Amino acid sequence: MIASIPSATLLGVEGRPVHVEVHVSNGLPGFTVVGLPDAACRESRDRVRAALISHGLPWPTKRVTVNLAPSGVRKGGPGLDLPIAVGLLIAAGEVPAAGAEGMAFLGELGLDGSLRPVPGVVPMVAAMATGTVVVPPASVPEASVLGRHRVRAAPTLGDVVACLRGDQPWPDAAVLVGAVDPAAPSVGAAAANGPEAEPADRAVVGRAVAGATGAAGAAVADAATAIADPGTAADPAATGVPDLADVRGQPVARVALEVAAAGGHHLLLCGPPGAGKTMLARRLPALLPALEGAEALEATTIHSAAGVPLPPDGLLRRPPFRAPHHGASAVALVGGGSAWMRPGEISLAHGGVLFLDELGEFPASVLDSLRQPLEEGVVRVCRARGSVSLPARFLLVAATNPCPCGGSGTGMPCRCSPAALARYRRRLSGPLLDRFDLRVVVSRPDPSTLVGGPPGEATAPVARRVAQARARARARGFRSNAEIPAPLLDRLAPLAPPAWALLEQGLRRGTLSARGLHRVRRVARTIADLAGHGEVVSEEHVCLALALRGEAGLGEVAA
Amino acid sequence: MSGPDGARAGGTVGSELPAEAFAAALAALPGVGPAGLARLLSGCDPRTAWEREARRRSPRPGLGEVAAGWSALETAGVSVSVLGRPGYPACLAADHEAPAVLFRRGGPGGLEGRRVAVVGTRRCTAYGRDVAFDLGRELAGNGVTVVSGLALGVDGAAHAGALAAGPTAGPPVAVVGSGLDVVYPRGHARLWEQVAAAGAILSEAPLGARPEPWRFPVRNRVIAALAEVVVVVESPDRGGSRHTVEAAMARDRPVMAVPGPVRSATSDLPNALLADGCHPARDALDVLVALDLAPTGPGPAPPTDPRPPPPPGEVEVLEALGWGRKSFEDLAVATGRSPAALGVALAHLERDGWVSGHGGWWERAVAR
Repeated sequence: MIASIPSATLLGVEGRPVHVEVHVSNGLPGFTVVGLPDAACRESRDRVRAALISHGLPWPTKRVTVNLAPSGVRKGGPGLDLPIAVGLLIAAGEVPAAGAEGMAFLGELGLDGSLRPVPGVVPMVAAMATGTVVVPPASVPEASVLGRHRVRAAPTLGDVVACLRGDQPWPDAAVLVGAVDPAAPSVGAAAANGPEAEPADRAVVGRAVAGATGAAGAAVADAATAIADPGTAADPAATGVPDLADVRGQPVARVALEVAAAGGHHLLLCGPPGAGKTMLARRLPALLPALEGAEALEATTIHSAAGVPLPPDGLLRRPPFRAPHHGASAVALVGGGSAWMRPGEISLAHGGVLFLDELGEFPASVLDSLRQPLEEGVVRVCRARGSVSLPARFLLVAATNPCPCGGSGTGMPCRCSPAALARYRRRLSGPLLDRFDLRVVVSRPDPSTLVGGPPGEATAPVARRVAQARARARARGFRSNAEIPAPLLDRLAPLAPPAWALLEQGLRRGTLSARGLHRVRRVARTIADLAGHGEVVSEEHVCLALALRGEAGLGEVAA
Repeated sequence: MSGPDGARAGGTVGSELPAEAFAAALAALPGVGPAGLARLLSGCDPRTAWEREARRRSPRPGLGEVAAGWSALETAGVSVSVLGRPGYPACLAADHEAPAVLFRRGGPGGLEGRRVAVVGTRRCTAYGRDVAFDLGRELAGNGVTVVSGLALGVDGAAHAGALAAGPTAGPPVAVVGSGLDVVYPRGHARLWEQVAAAGAILSEAPLGARPEPWRFPVRNRVIAALAEVVVVVESPDRGGSRHTVEAAMARDRPVMAVPGPVRSATSDLPNALLADGCHPARDALDVLVALDLAPTGPGPAPPTDPRPPPPPGEVEVLEALGWGRKSFEDLAVATGRSPAALGVALAHLERDGWVSGHGGWWERAVAR
């Protein structure tokens, strides 16, 4: 007997359809998996056997051949356990073939026959052409994100078999999701610094029950969504997102943060240890508007493919915040790896914020690898076995000390030798530094403002201004002002005469380059949008843009 | 580029090589520093000294190497003077630590006029840079040779000022720690060429010598020996300038100091020198008086400030800025202004020349 079960495997952030063909015939008993399986795939034989026996299902004492078609594509991961088991049962005649008609299967099996989630369910389900997909209960929200398939789930292989035989109806997927233990490791590859905004309370969730943003949606909605829909007002304490009100003093850094969020301008914070650079950067994602439509789906797909935990309803709407340590390798940052082209940190930050703390400590080669994705919003990872394109459009925020010892700027003398300073600056100079439209020196706040001062402006009103500024940019046809091409600046960001005079003088003196001019004009456009100013950019906005641009932000420059 | 020392050879045959070629070859031997070179060359002519030294070495250097070194010097436009031979700068010959061999790019003119060393730290403030530039420009404008080390910071600013005084001004002289074909610091490559064209660059190090740290204190004694007056612009208490000052004092050369803010660490050395009784150098006129010269050139800065006076609102920003370095944020906190309003004030002040912004930091500028 032969059976063919549709399933999928993962390459980069894309699913590839796979047909699991199982052939059972007379001969010397044995079990072979062919069709370029990786180690986890080959090992599925032992898991499938144990799962079958655990549920009292017979293990055929015949010759079994499993082919993963198309045979030329490498298959990875344990997600093919379930389709192999189902195919085997159909081929052995234990389950009627008609029961599994029009169904695709995906999931890892435990030795006790339980169904376990696998990474990459969103893209893999997207690759499936059938009307129904059967996934582990914990993967139901991810599988439902697309909304194209009927999603079935069952807690164990025994239940799946019973449903396929028609002995029992398919359980309600939404109820199953509620029963999943949120503490269980949903996937193996969870990154060390996942989104910090994981809601503590994962009650009954799921699109089937709660719709897009219902009771549980409040937990994932951020301040910007709250503006769009007052009914889902988010309590920052409940979402765990740090609030801008915690930042005392530091007026310039706050403005820079707001401008960065509103215009999509990359931001470099330069300041001594303890100046609050990291604190500021962590408050940036909450200022960004919620992800919508295609962008949310892209971000969700990437997170799913990387095995990073997703919000309970499956769709990622909060802009992600990724903060890789400076020990990260180039592959960890841009993605790749020989097996399944895992998306890197910059792709995980797609639609959100990539925060590089201690920028000067990152190896130069790693920083250089960021240049192409910064320009194009996509990173192409090429390996001998093939190449994938991973979306990577993110807001880059970097923090750095003014010098390696961190002394200068604190009132303490700097202990760095001129050579060490020059080395440090060289690493922070050049093409990457050029990409930062905003370079701000951050100082330690005055102790009196820290202890007794009034709290700063909260996230919600700032996010409202950001949302309005972004709406103005969208009305011009761009996601953000940072994307306005230079030839259109004259039309979209016309300058008042005094503003022109100021920039002209900078050009003549050589303090401003032609490229710098465009950047300043884009930032000034954003500042004017935030201020609710009309179409013409005034001198005030240009002055602030110039002041926020700084230069290298790295202390004095030698003669 | 041949100097009056006549140390130029047409032929490369051993017997026709001048004595300077052998001195240069001795200086280029591995393990021979300035002191060792002086010892080798004392009491005998360079050719004998080289032959004696060559016999002691294995593998034994040959005449071919001397000739090759000499033609390399010629190609690089470098002339060689040997202590005790014609062509050696008179102003150095009497010094008790005079370099035994001196390499030079550029003409000898700078070594014949009046000479003032302008020295200071590499990590100077905008104040030090401005003062050094003005001193260099006005001294050179009065026909005085500005001697310095071509380092970053004060040294470079003094030379840049001397060059800014125009082609008829006193030629600048630089004494460097590396070989004359090794530009250090690399950022001063252009300044290096300009100084070589307008004046001269001197070095004790043979071609190709790296700027090793020990060479700089040794170089500083040459600066002190060359100068009639040493002016310290800005330097922390311990630093390269201290070597220059000590070397100058050992030679009874007058040392002058530019007064600086008492709280500025980069003015520690000049302020300490003033407290010890050195003369202050407020401007080029003070230095010219010390040289017994009457000012003839562009003179000190005019007493009236050419800058338009800032409006009261901007004066407030200037006062908050003081004479130190402040970031935009420090200023916003100190003045209590919104970043936008402060940005406008700073842009206007910078336009009118009252402040200068560098790398996100703001400083008060002096009138130019």
